[in-house]
Amino acid sequence: MIRSEHSLVEYDFQRLAIRPDRLRRGADADYLIAAKQMLQIYRRGIGQQRNVLHGRVEQCLLRLPACPPRRIAAFCKLLDDHSEYESKRGAAFDLRRKVFDLASQYHPIVEHREGIFDHELQLVRAKVAEAIGMPWPEIENKLFGDVIELQKLNSFGDKLTAAELLSIYNVAQTQAALYRATRVRIDATEDFKTIVKHAKLAGLMHRIDRIDSGGKRGYRFVLDGPQASLRETTRYGIRFASLVPKLLACRGWHMTAEVLGPRKQKFRMELSPADGLRSVLAPPDDFDSTLESDVDAAWCKAGIDGWDWQRESELLVEGQTVMTPDFTLYNSRRNVLIYVEVVGFWTPEYLDEKCQRLRQFMAQADLGQQSGRSGKRSGKTVKWLLVVSKQVNSDQQKQLAELKIPIVCFDKKSDPQSWIDAVLSESSR
Amino acid sequence: MPAENATGPKVDFHQGTVRIFGVSDDFIVKVLPDIPFVWDRREACFRTDAMFADAIWMAFSKSLAGNVQWCVGRDVGADDFGPLSIADRRKTKLRSDQVDAVTAFEDGGGRGLVVMPTGTGKTVVALELMIRHQCSTLVVVPVRDLMYQWHEKILQSTGIDAGLIGDGVHRVSPISVTTYDSAAIHMPRLGDRFRMVVFDEVHHLAGPWRSDAARMSIAKYRLGLTATLPGDSERVELLHHLIGPTLYHQTITEAAGRSLAEYSVHRIAVHLTDDEQRRYRELSMQIQKFVSDQKDIDPSFKWDDTYTLSAATKKDPGRARDAVRAMRAFQMKRKIEEHADAKMRTLEDLFRLHCDESVIVFTGSNVMARKISTRFLVPCLLSHCGKKERRQWLQGFAEGRYRVLVANRVLDEGVDLPEVKTAIVLGGLSSQRQAIQRLGRVLRKGSGRRLAKLYEVVVDDTREVTRSRDRRRNEAYRGKS
Repeated sequence: MIRSEHSLVEYDFQRLAIRPDRLRRGADADYLIAAKQMLQIYRRGIGQQRNVLHGRVEQCLLRLPACPPRRIAAFCKLLDDHSEYESKRGAAFDLRRKVFDLASQYHPIVEHREGIFDHELQLVRAKVAEAIGMPWPEIENKLFGDVIELQKLNSFGDKLTAAELLSIYNVAQTQAALYRATRVRIDATEDFKTIVKHAKLAGLMHRIDRIDSGGKRGYRFVLDGPQASLRETTRYGIRFASLVPKLLACRGWHMTAEVLGPRKQKFRMELSPADGLRSVLAPPDDFDSTLESDVDAAWCKAGIDGWDWQRESELLVEGQTVMTPDFTLYNSRRNVLIYVEVVGFWTPEYLDEKCQRLRQFMAQADLGQQSGRSGKRSGKTVKWLLVVSKQVNSDQQKQLAELKIPIVCFDKKSDPQSWIDAVLSESSR
Repeated sequence: MPAENATGPKVDFHQGTVRIFGVSDDFIVKVLPDIPFVWDRREACFRTDAMFADAIWMAFSKSLAGNVQWCVGRDVGADDFGPLSIADRRKTKLRSDQVDAVTAFEDGGGRGLVVMPTGTGKTVVALELMIRHQCSTLVVVPVRDLMYQWHEKILQSTGIDAGLIGDGVHRVSPISVTTYDSAAIHMPRLGDRFRMVVFDEVHHLAGPWRSDAARMSIAKYRLGLTATLPGDSERVELLHHLIGPTLYHQTITEAAGRSLAEYSVHRIAVHLTDDEQRRYRELSMQIQKFVSDQKDIDPSFKWDDTYTLSAATKKDPGRARDAVRAMRAFQMKRKIEEHADAKMRTLEDLFRLHCDESVIVFTGSNVMARKISTRFLVPCLLSHCGKKERRQWLQGFAEGRYRVLVANRVLDEGVDLPEVKTAIVLGGLSSQRQAIQRLGRVLRKGSGRRLAKLYEVVVDDTREVTRSRDRRRNEAYRGKS
């Protein structure tokens, strides 16, 4: 990521929109050549000081028409992120201590001696160099070798290509524009669980509502932090920025951020897969476990007519706690919705937590049915089903049985009809 | 809107805020009318900044007589932060002005600002208050050097090895020291662990990010220390809101001669060499032409607009390119001013003049500080220096092993130095605060009555003269030259 002082955005004061700096394949083709040159500068610059490399990158980019200083600084930062610099703080400090201790007896050190207490610079340098056993030019070269801008390049990522560097730059500028964001809204029709998971990992708070987006059902996530209810704050900007690479790896989303611009004016920033930014991360895994994948395969192989099987399509929300049932089964004729949870190999602690969470959301579903306040689910009969691996031990099975919901033991030959039967026979009892 | 909870309301600390569950709108209006609560539908609670925790506690104490689940503050009833015992190992007594400051703070309800010039012992005042209150305390300082210095002073005065939060260390204990930036980062998690918070050089508590360090703390006792209050009333008002009113104010002229040394300010004008002057003029002309061209295009154009213009590469690439060039020319001019040959010669003369005493040199940049260090073979204290190195240079300087110490901005504030009576300022900003802080470094009163001297070396016929003039607008900096 780049720093906020490298951020470059374009403000549209009429539409109150902002656009992060973006280098495009056609219009900015010069930058592809420049990127190749910058990579060469670093690859050939092993042993060179950081400020020398930055100077060369600056020269390279200044040859292009109107490259702003922030863009130059951002490229330097991104190239440094792929570099390893020598940092021998201890050695440089030891050298400084020796030099200044030896020289202290000669103060004041002057160019040309005039008074009896003066000491000539060249003579002092020679004495210090002799005492340390290192020629003066080498001492001068190493004296501040630990200062960041004077550190020497040890190695540079050899796999980075020019196109990737530009792609990383575009993503980094998008992230940096979010440093000044106060709130982020994501409308999603897929990968809900991944979005929630990463928002949680980023320490954000959410409001989640059902939406219809172009005929597809989905969710609206409004993300911010505790302080956001008290005032407009950019405190959580870095957390929004950290979400971007994860979001770019997802499908079916549209992000709208509120960003504070000049004079604290509110601007809007939009981002979606249509922007074509590439994430360095892989798309979310299709399944959390092999067992989940096997359960899905078993249904797909022998699905039951009238039942619609979907994976991670529902979010159950209570305050700041969210649960995503692994699968849902819906029968429109019977108006029955079944939340299917798959139980594989779990530690006792994890199982405890899972049971507690299931109880919490089973109670919420019951309440919702009674009061009819659960939105689209209102009027539906909501049921639960646990699909449990045969390898779950008997103690754990007992613990699950206490939840008093239908349980089916799963193996690859398992028949989905038996899952439906388990739920329906339970409810007819 | 919420209904009253039969078991009584629950109050807790949540990431730098305080939440109340189980109370109604009416309750808030009747019992807590002065606290800016908002209804947070995300968690069905009322929420406010943690800094109001004590006021909420007081209001609840009066109205609910204990019928509240109070879960704020790990030192309010929690095992790991019980009452503290802070020993008093100090060997010196407080001066009368320090006693006055302590009394003013106590009389003012334990929340407010104490303004005392650098070198008059603000730390002594804070330590006295810590020992008096015997409670968990967080000291917030602007730079890492000061963090270690406070750690040392707490150790000397109380025998407590205080926790450190910052500079790659995260050791939290009931008495801890941190930097402003670390406090702003960690306060959502630490804001409920300290009953007292001391903001050293409190003028740094500006801007929404750093202000959070105060907003997110539940501390009942809140002390802000500074040598100079911010110039604009809006910022002072914010400090009064976050910490409390100004309870004690001593000016530098009141302190001079009593707790500070008498001082004089000498300005030395130097000249650019012919080559430097020629280059300087060329760059000035380039900038003038740029401004004139821009004014032809847009009569309202000001130099301050240059930076914005430089970023308009897509909208107006030609003007953006010229803006970048003009900015580079401006930077080159600053470099010429700062690195003028004559400055080194003047420095040599001043070192000769004061060869038998300790001299501090303040520069405008790290590069210049390193240049002087390499040229005169004297230590320089920069922000990159580690703890060990800082101690080495400061201790060596205190013992007289090093006669000169060069610094950019590290020493601007608070770092204690021994009996320095001579300082030289090369370049630097025009801010009056920096001027006063720098002056404070020189004016600490030690043994003897010798007049302290501050030399200011500026390049004639350049913007350095303007900056020097700006600094001199301050009463203290005018001194007795």
